Amino acid sequence: MSIRMLNQNAEVMNKSAALAMNIGAAKGLQDVLKTNLGPKGTIKMLVGGAGDIKLTKDGNTLLKEMQIQNPTAIMIARTAVAQDDTSGDGTTSTVLFIGELMKMSERCIEEGTHPRFLVDGFEVAKKATLEFLETFKTSVVIGDQPDREILKMVARTTLRTKLYEGLADQLTDIVVNAVLCIRQSDQPIDLFMVEIMHMRHKFDVDTRLIEGLVLDHGSRHPDMKRRAENCYILTANVSLEYEKSEINAGFFYSNAEQREKMVTAERRQVDERVQKIIELKNKVCAGTDKNFVVINQKGIDPPSLDLLARAGIIALRRAKRRNMERLVLACGGEAINSVEGMTEECLGWAGLVYEHVLGEEKYTFVENVKNPHSCTILIKGPNDHTIAQIKDAVRDGLRSVKNTVEDEAVVLGAGAFEIAARKNLIDNVKKTVKGRAQLGVGAFADALLVIPKTLAENSGLDTQDVIVSLENEHDRGLVVGLNHNTGEPVDPEMEGIYDNYSVKRQIVNSGPIIASQLLLVDEVIRAGRNMRKPT
Amino acid sequence: MREVVTVQVGGFANFVGSHFWNFQDELLGLADDPAADAAFRTAPLDMDVLYRTGETLQGVSTYCPRLVSIGSRGSLGSLSSSGAPGLSSAASDQLNVTTWSGNVTRSVAKPHGRNLFLQSLTEQEPNPSTSNGGDNSQKSVEDKDLVECLEKDVNFWTDYTKVQYHPQSLYEMYGSWTDFDKFDNFGTAREVVSEWSLMEEMNEKLRFFVEECDHIQGIQFIVDDSGGFSSIAATYLENIADDYTNTPVLLYCVRDPVTHGSSRNQRETISRSLHDAVSFSKLSSFCSLMVPIGLPSLSQSYLSPFLSIQDAKPFHSSAISAAAIHSVTVPFRLQNAGPASNIAHSSGNIDMRELVHIISDQGRQNMVTALDVAMPAPSLKDGNDLWNMKSLHSLTPEISDEEEDPYSVESLVVHGVLRAGGHRASISQVKSSVYSAYEARATKPKFSHLSVSPCPLPIPLPFPSIFRSNISQHGEILGNHAEGTQTKGSLDVESIPMAARLRSSNAVLPFIERRSLSLQKFGVARGALGTQILRDWGFGREEMEDMGEHLSRMVRALRPDDGLTSDSD
Ligand SMILES: Nc1ncnc2c1ncn2[C@@H]1O[C@H](COP(=O)(O)OP(=O)(O)OP(=O)(O)O)[C@@H](O)[C@H]1O
Ligand SMILES: [Mg+2]
Repeated sequence: MSIRMLNQNAEVMNKSAALAMNIGAAKGLQDVLKTNLGPKGTIKMLVGGAGDIKLTKDGNTLLKEMQIQNPTAIMIARTAVAQDDTSGDGTTSTVLFIGELMKMSERCIEEGTHPRFLVDGFEVAKKATLEFLETFKTSVVIGDQPDREILKMVARTTLRTKLYEGLADQLTDIVVNAVLCIRQSDQPIDLFMVEIMHMRHKFDVDTRLIEGLVLDHGSRHPDMKRRAENCYILTANVSLEYEKSEINAGFFYSNAEQREKMVTAERRQVDERVQKIIELKNKVCAGTDKNFVVINQKGIDPPSLDLLARAGIIALRRAKRRNMERLVLACGGEAINSVEGMTEECLGWAGLVYEHVLGEEKYTFVENVKNPHSCTILIKGPNDHTIAQIKDAVRDGLRSVKNTVEDEAVVLGAGAFEIAARKNLIDNVKKTVKGRAQLGVGAFADALLVIPKTLAENSGLDTQDVIVSLENEHDRGLVVGLNHNTGEPVDPEMEGIYDNYSVKRQIVNSGPIIASQLLLVDEVIRAGRNMRKPT
Repeated sequence: MREVVTVQVGGFANFVGSHFWNFQDELLGLADDPAADAAFRTAPLDMDVLYRTGETLQGVSTYCPRLVSIGSRGSLGSLSSSGAPGLSSAASDQLNVTTWSGNVTRSVAKPHGRNLFLQSLTEQEPNPSTSNGGDNSQKSVEDKDLVECLEKDVNFWTDYTKVQYHPQSLYEMYGSWTDFDKFDNFGTAREVVSEWSLMEEMNEKLRFFVEECDHIQGIQFIVDDSGGFSSIAATYLENIADDYTNTPVLLYCVRDPVTHGSSRNQRETISRSLHDAVSFSKLSSFCSLMVPIGLPSLSQSYLSPFLSIQDAKPFHSSAISAAAIHSVTVPFRLQNAGPASNIAHSSGNIDMRELVHIISDQGRQNMVTALDVAMPAPSLKDGNDLWNMKSLHSLTPEISDEEEDPYSVESLVVHGVLRAGGHRASISQVKSSVYSAYEARATKPKFSHLSVSPCPLPIPLPFPSIFRSNISQHGEILGNHAEGTQTKGSLDVESIPMAARLRSSNAVLPFIERRSLSLQKFGVARGALGTQILRDWGFGREEMEDMGEHLSRMVRALRPDDGLTSDSD
């Protein structure tokens, strides 16, 4: 996992050595991530010193797993990971693009060009490419009823770069439906409202969407029902346990009787809270076949559980904080902080609540809810590393759908955008630039090709042939990308290969910024943390 | 039964924890061992307080610590984070990738070797929790090798652990590109702490253990506060205070003696002083009781007549803190005996909440306590009824030696004490001897609590060989014994009597004052030299001032003339 090559321990360096180191680091990082890219990329299995396993096809995860020490490499990695934080995708492309910009610059510098010119050219090229992206992108009308087909195509494109086709396609509908479920008009999409849960299962690899919630715990009383239909759901953050919290005033009781009194008084307070809940249950459920479920963020102690069980109530304690919000979005009602003044309006609703037990692990499913705005994706897998990798892929899929909804646009993939953007720079932009900055525009244009080239390379194709034939088609006015199976040009629109607009935008934007910083090294750089040390 | 959940955060905290759980594992083994000392069988501690019963997916039942342990990536050595020994590299070669049909590359790190001791554990399975001192002579040769191997071959805390951990217990942080070898101040953890998913996972692990508790009495939290882990712990504690509002948290701040080495330059001195101040201020804000442990040297300490500790070995020094923490937990686990059985089994059971209230709310409003130990605790002298209070010495650094605070409050635990002739002293003998000792003190504490159990500290096989030759098999201090250079280990010493005391008094004033002053001088004051350091760590002006105010308030509460709460109302 440690990439030795990136760990040269540089001491004080002069400017050109520092530049050389930056270029070296950028190329080194590119080499490591290159094989990751696209649907024909390589998955990496990382086995740690204790035999623990991590599986990843994702640039983001891989970068985080690497023990990078070279400051330049860390800087690039940070940029790429930041890319993932904001748009959830495109980490690998970012690293490749930065590496390629540095590679192209290296050639020019060797031929005597000052980095300053390159940086100026980058600036022009970046601006022009961002403008070009605006004309190149495909608009998507979202509105109240978004175009599911296009959302599915985007999700499928992303998922197929992380999972084999069968598995990816199984997840496509799930991630699209999940995002549409939590989407509320005029509000930003909060992906946290999609809970991702997993279960270990010996043979099964299976994922499903539950419109509702799955909690990773169950009730703690033997007499509570394990399955109930037509349930009122009370989402609460109320302590139902005796905590001796008001101890201060009289900890040292003068006698046993007094102590007893204190204890009874405190117990009574807890009991009264429980009683209020039972009263509400009786009010709404009496004479019907309806059930009542309490899901509490605070504790519930055994005497309280007893009372609730006797009243026929199912109760769960210590629900995770975020689930309070999710429950309300899934079931309706509101999360209460006090039992005072509770009414029927506070209650949510679920058609079915049941418990599922696996060894010592318990799960509670809250399903068949009306009009949910929170849902759960449940992943079953045979072991932790498989589950973790599917989870990563699901996150990517969710992000790609969310981005599409928010961008109201997508971009043709499979290298089509990069070829077209290069052509635009060479044909239209380069000539508008005076002097040596043209070299920077050219370098930028050529660097864009790293994406289709790498896609071809990973598919075992001849990169030059591929680029030539793609460019020929573009010259004829056809916007094509790469068919990774045949190496032939393909219409990404026909194939439904779409990337996120915001991801592309960010790659084009951040790549040249970092590359420029790396090219304009003025100060002496030292490896590692020593950078900050006073002398 | 009232449950305690344990949290360990950081390198040295896990070293301490490893010994702590070895003691517990040993107690479990001894309680079932007909050949064991009667004290372990007849008056056992309630292990359910610290342990949970569970079941694996395969339906095998398990009994594991209620524990969340947080460490840096790689700190688990040869143990995988699921608590089981990880997959061999041969086995991982065979592994299929079921999610991808394209190419797979494997990158296999050099496997961590398992030392002789760990190897012996897997051979012994399925019953790893056996007691020491096998009577089979052929075996004891082997045990000797194991003990020796541990003196040389401990790199990770997992290298001497004999406990089976729950799959939810161990968490390795992978702070992206955080260099855990240089994780030496509060600021170094900034990136790690800001990683949302990391804190979320830590919270979830704890919730797993708390949810199943019917009556949690509290959380005992051990943190290595010498570096960045202190910041991680502070954030963790803050979440705990939010999520489990009324659950008391007993915080031990432990430090490896080697972290006290002298600074290389002024900047480092300032940075360290600020780290100590900030870390103290933050950690104390989110716990109920704080116990700083960690003398700059144990080899030179009051323990040295009985114990020969090499400061450079965390395997050694962590054993002392672990023993002391074990003693503090004894009262939480004494079986709740009715008044009639008072004499026989134990006395003074008290839960964590009560302890917190005794210590922090009765005298001064002070929650920073000193921890004193007698290791081993001296025997009672027949005829002479005064237990030797002077045998208690502090493990808390930077405190004053004075014991003359009439407002002090303390809680003393004495367990497994012997009387002359090597017999176990009865509970009532210990009580009366200790009470008389209190009576004889010139300044008596405002309040003191005593817990007594006959159960000594068991010495498990993977305990370091640190006993001097004047310590007997049962932990008696042998008088007029010829000084030998040879140390004894777990094969010679089976158990030792212990005493430990938590003490809230103005003795801790210098400890707090120093931190308060450093923050003023290097951080808050106009033109202070360390303001930039604090900024780099992510603190703005206002937050610095708040921390400063928090510390001055703590100081004021302990000053002899001001800060006294009006006497019992
Ligand atoms: N079916 C396909 N045929 C050809 N190219 C494709 C296909 N599907 C996706 N791609 C291309 O693969 C690239 C994305 O690959 P990938 O997802 O592996 O890397 P990334 O998004 O840059 O980084 P990350 O590792 O963060 O996902 C895009 O350029 C996309 O257009
Ligand atoms: Mg991608």
